[in-house]
Amino acid sequence: MINRLRLDPTRLLHMAIIFLQVFSVAQVVWWFVDQRTYADNNANEVRNLYTYDMVAAQKLSALGASAEEITAIFPHAQVVNGEVTLTEAALTDLDDAKTRHVNQYAWESGFFLLVQALAIMVLWRGLSSEKAIRKKQDNFMAMVSHQFKTPIASLQLSLETMVLRQVTPERFQQLSRRMLDDLRRMENMVSKILDSARLDRGRVQLNKERLSLAEAVRHVVATLEDIARRENVAFDVEIAPQLEVRADPLAVDGVLRNLIENAMSAMKPTGGGTVTIRGTRAGDEAELRIIDTGVGFEPADGPKLFEKFFRIDNHGGRDAAGTGLGLFIVQRFMHFENGHVKAHSEGAGKGATFTVAWPTAQET
Amino acid sequence: MSEAAQSRILVVEDDLHLAEGMAENMRAEGYATDTAHDGQLGLEMALVGDYDLIVLDVMLPQMDGFEVCKALRAQGKSTPVLFLTARGDPQDRVRGLEAGGDDYLTKPFHLDEFLLRIRAILRRWEWFKSSLAKPATSATLTFAGNEANFRTFQAHAWDGTTHDLTEKEAMILKVLAEHPGEVVTRDDLLEKVWGYEVYPSTRTVDNFILRLRKIFERDPHEPRHFLTVRGVGYRFQPEGDA
Repeated sequence: MINRLRLDPTRLLHMAIIFLQVFSVAQVVWWFVDQRTYADNNANEVRNLYTYDMVAAQKLSALGASAEEITAIFPHAQVVNGEVTLTEAALTDLDDAKTRHVNQYAWESGFFLLVQALAIMVLWRGLSSEKAIRKKQDNFMAMVSHQFKTPIASLQLSLETMVLRQVTPERFQQLSRRMLDDLRRMENMVSKILDSARLDRGRVQLNKERLSLAEAVRHVVATLEDIARRENVAFDVEIAPQLEVRADPLAVDGVLRNLIENAMSAMKPTGGGTVTIRGTRAGDEAELRIIDTGVGFEPADGPKLFEKFFRIDNHGGRDAAGTGLGLFIVQRFMHFENGHVKAHSEGAGKGATFTVAWPTAQET
Repeated sequence: MSEAAQSRILVVEDDLHLAEGMAENMRAEGYATDTAHDGQLGLEMALVGDYDLIVLDVMLPQMDGFEVCKALRAQGKSTPVLFLTARGDPQDRVRGLEAGGDDYLTKPFHLDEFLLRIRAILRRWEWFKSSLAKPATSATLTFAGNEANFRTFQAHAWDGTTHDLTEKEAMILKVLAEHPGEVVTRDDLLEKVWGYEVYPSTRTVDNFILRLRKIFERDPHEPRHFLTVRGVGYRFQPEGDA
């Protein structure tokens, strides 16, 4: 893994370009210093020439040339009482010309340096975020393969049991049901991975319609009842009957399923319990609270729960499909539905409350 | 399979299907099984119960398999552990064995291989336990002013120091002591103490021998009891090599 990260050609190219940029920064600085020295030398040379001019003008003056004749030949000279000197203006002009030259290069090289620095920064950030993404992807791959291997191991074990042992028809039924369940788990995981990829790219088309929240919850709970019974989980649902939201039915289904599965898996280590679901109207919104008595989390972790691949340690790494994607999917769906979701817990071992809110359906 | 019928195996695996599947198959082989679905409970059961083998998943809720195994060893439980993991990383394999595991199996696995590994570990453990059950003399080894007790895993060295032997050190010492003056090959030691294919190299055995020399030899660089037979293995000389 580490080797591949180091030898990646794009990464190498980025690093080479950063190196060239740093090199050209040094070049621009050197170039500016050089121009400054050049301007200094130039001004000194002109000043020397002026000195020779004044000596020549003084000679002319001594030979009897008039002040007008001398200033015609040497415009930067002045004659006072037969004494030839350099005009103040000539010196000022010389200094001004030098300053102009230096300033012009200072601005130009300053601008180049700024552009270079920006380019280095952008490339550097690209490199480091690419590294972070790769790390996340590696973690994700490791986790996904781990989560797939368990149901695969279970499938293989059931099948080999059938092949290697004499099984009764009842046992055959039992093993077959177990295998179907393992397949369902894998299928569930695949759809979560696809969902999150789709939501991540913002590629969702929502067909919002008016729907009853109580109805939607009832539907999801019904599909989870078998698993709930096995995991010793009971549901306590109370939702105001008239509570209707304007949302996409599939998105609502996804949100509810992920939240309820999350609550169930949070109670797995504690040996089951009750998932309490309450639906009320809160202003313009329909609010649903999903309360579990499971493992909970540190309050500071609340917002992080919805990040892709985030998993709480004491959760034992088990949301329903165990991908670290369930709550990310919820958060993305709620974002596209103009709703919101938040998580609250008093701390590890103290259960958790997830609150989701959708805009209510307009009374028409 | 009369001895197998008495073997008790604890399965610590959070996946219900897999745990049930393994337990059912082990019962079919005549073993008695218990299951735990998280690390904490697994550790508690392993500490209280008298198991002959623990099948331990690495990724567990509450407490991971490595921690469970370390905690077990720290509390003096030397029950053999077969690690199960979904990660095929060789690094994990080394970590598992360092944590005190006896063998390592990657998910998904074949049923017959799983059962074979269990039989191999139980056979080795059975050998070690039965050799201790013999008359009290065989539970301790005395040579050249050193004394090692295979029940308490304690050793009193010639210089008056006391050492706690690890389970593997004790087992190696036991194998060597059973064949005084004879050459024991590295492969023999691996097979008897770890089973087949567990460690990546027979070099591992050498490291254990180095440690035994440090404890028991007067001059570890000039060993007189734990002798290397170049290219083959080791020879144990209780009276010291002349």
